[in-house]
Amino acid sequence: MTGRPMRVVGWYHSHPHITVWPSHVDVRTQAMYQMMDQGFVGLIFSCFIEDKNTKTGRVLYTCFQSVQAQKGSEYERIEIPIHVVPHETIGKVCLESAVELPKILCQEEQDAYRRIHSLAHLDPITKIHNGSVFTKNLCSQMSAISGPLLQWLEDKVEQNKQNIAELQLEKERLTLELTDLD
Amino acid sequence: MAASISGYTFSSLCYHSANSNSDHEGFLLGEVRQEETFSISDSQISNTEFLQVLEIHNHEPCSQLFSFYDYAGKVNEENLKRILKERRKNVIGWYRFRRNTQQQMSFREQIIHKQLTHILGVPDLVFLLFSFISTANNSTHALEYVLFRPNRKYNQRVSLTIPNLGNTSQQEYKVSSVPNTSWNYAKVIKEQGAEFFDKDGVMKDIRTIFQVYNALQDKVQAVCGEVEHSERLKETFQEEVNKLKKQIALRKIEKEDERRLQEMAAVEGRQVPEEHKNTCPAYNSRAVCPGNAAEEYSLENQDTSETPPPYSEVIPLDSTAVNTETSTAYLPRPQAVGSSSYAPPSLGAAKNTGNGDGSSTDSSQGTPGSGVVGQLAKGEEEEEEEDEDEDEEDSSEYENLANEPSESSDSEFSQLAEGRPASLRPDGDARNSQASQI
Repeated sequence: MTGRPMRVVGWYHSHPHITVWPSHVDVRTQAMYQMMDQGFVGLIFSCFIEDKNTKTGRVLYTCFQSVQAQKGSEYERIEIPIHVVPHETIGKVCLESAVELPKILCQEEQDAYRRIHSLAHLDPITKIHNGSVFTKNLCSQMSAISGPLLQWLEDKVEQNKQNIAELQLEKERLTLELTDLD
Repeated sequence: MAASISGYTFSSLCYHSANSNSDHEGFLLGEVRQEETFSISDSQISNTEFLQVLEIHNHEPCSQLFSFYDYAGKVNEENLKRILKERRKNVIGWYRFRRNTQQQMSFREQIIHKQLTHILGVPDLVFLLFSFISTANNSTHALEYVLFRPNRKYNQRVSLTIPNLGNTSQQEYKVSSVPNTSWNYAKVIKEQGAEFFDKDGVMKDIRTIFQVYNALQDKVQAVCGEVEHSERLKETFQEEVNKLKKQIALRKIEKEDERRLQEMAAVEGRQVPEEHKNTCPAYNSRAVCPGNAAEEYSLENQDTSETPPPYSEVIPLDSTAVNTETSTAYLPRPQAVGSSSYAPPSLGAAKNTGNGDGSSTDSSQGTPGSGVVGQLAKGEEEEEEEDEDEDEEDSSEYENLANEPSESSDSEFSQLAEGRPASLRPDGDARNSQASQI
């Protein structure tokens, strides 16, 4: 997709509503990954945090690896510096990932429903109930994820149109300036 | 009042902010609604409350600072009109992103806000402030955000909700039916309930909603394709523009060199060629290596129209994560400042066992790093961040305020100045002395 060889360099997960620091389990999981690849890193994003007193919302992210003080002792977290590198445009891989999310959620819902649906002893009312739960959950996904995603994508197209028009003008202006200098 | 913003709009704000090497600002578009909440309690039969709901639908980022106001904070209506165009009527607020600063409106922001309120005719215009801070070793970063209602009493703060999917544990599916031996029950629900199912025994609703979902997902994919296409187009144009700028800069250097040569020739007569060659070898070498020259000059003699070289050119590609000093040296990100300690809230299960061993050694590295960063920030971003000097001064005043809470005019938030994390610490461990205070 990118035209360059890529490999998995780490794992990430989110901690909604809770602290960004990795739990004991997270640290151990990271240690396991490091056994396969010393350079493997772990990222944690903490979100949906609000300090009720100051009405301050927070999003945090941290990068870590695991280390064992001595053989047999408990694994501990070590901090790894991480920088978000600015980029003028969004890459294809990022866009594809963004669009993948609703698909994954729908697939999970289908899997859950399929498991229930296979139960033959349920009476019609229960089946209707379960079918409605599926419908409700899919509606929830569409309004919370697919809808806002589609809106963001549309707005981005508009924004880019604007930016491209401005860049075109600037290109013309600079071309003129260059020819004037020659 | 309650406010909400979609996760995607929020992350778009973060994206634009993270991509800017200076402060970033823009406008918030959306709508304000009155919602009636109806509640019943033991003491009253009915209790209606009116809640103002502010929904942020979208944002309009400003490509530069000072695009609609000047250094004195005077708003230029013409520029504002040009930036907003027909979206003006949807403006419900504006936002700013700054790094390593206090969660308070600066004086300039306050005066701009008053003018915007008046010019845009939005009496309850809101201001969303983003602040970004990092630990000294850059392993942990935090983006804080507060939504202000400056036109209300005491610069009221509003909770900003990011609606989420919620509980996806799928516990609502029933795995068994309520036991019932009634024949009538079984008969009625079978006969009447048959309406819900198609000939394959699949619920009709399921098929229908799935169709809706698929149609929506197809649209998402299609528009995503459009976005990808436009991003690549934008990239191409940006590259061409950058190339032209370099060519222009180079041409200007060459012309300047020619002009100086001619001047010296005119002044000193025949002796010039030998002397000039000896004393100014730099000119010759620059003429030989135009690529380097263009870059050097574009860094030193930046116009406001010049953009700094992209980060991908500046960062050494082989820098490893451990190489904190060299990587911080190349990235013009200000180090965390301030002395207040921050003990992050932690639940029992999530409390980490590590005590930030890595950071205590890194904090000493943080100090020289910040020095270099300071210089780099000055040199590379001088032109773009000149306008930032005032903001930097403001923020240094705020840093002092952190130690003198009594100076804060907002009495209920005076403790905020102390409790607010001006720098992030892992764990609040006493051994961790932050040496990187500037």
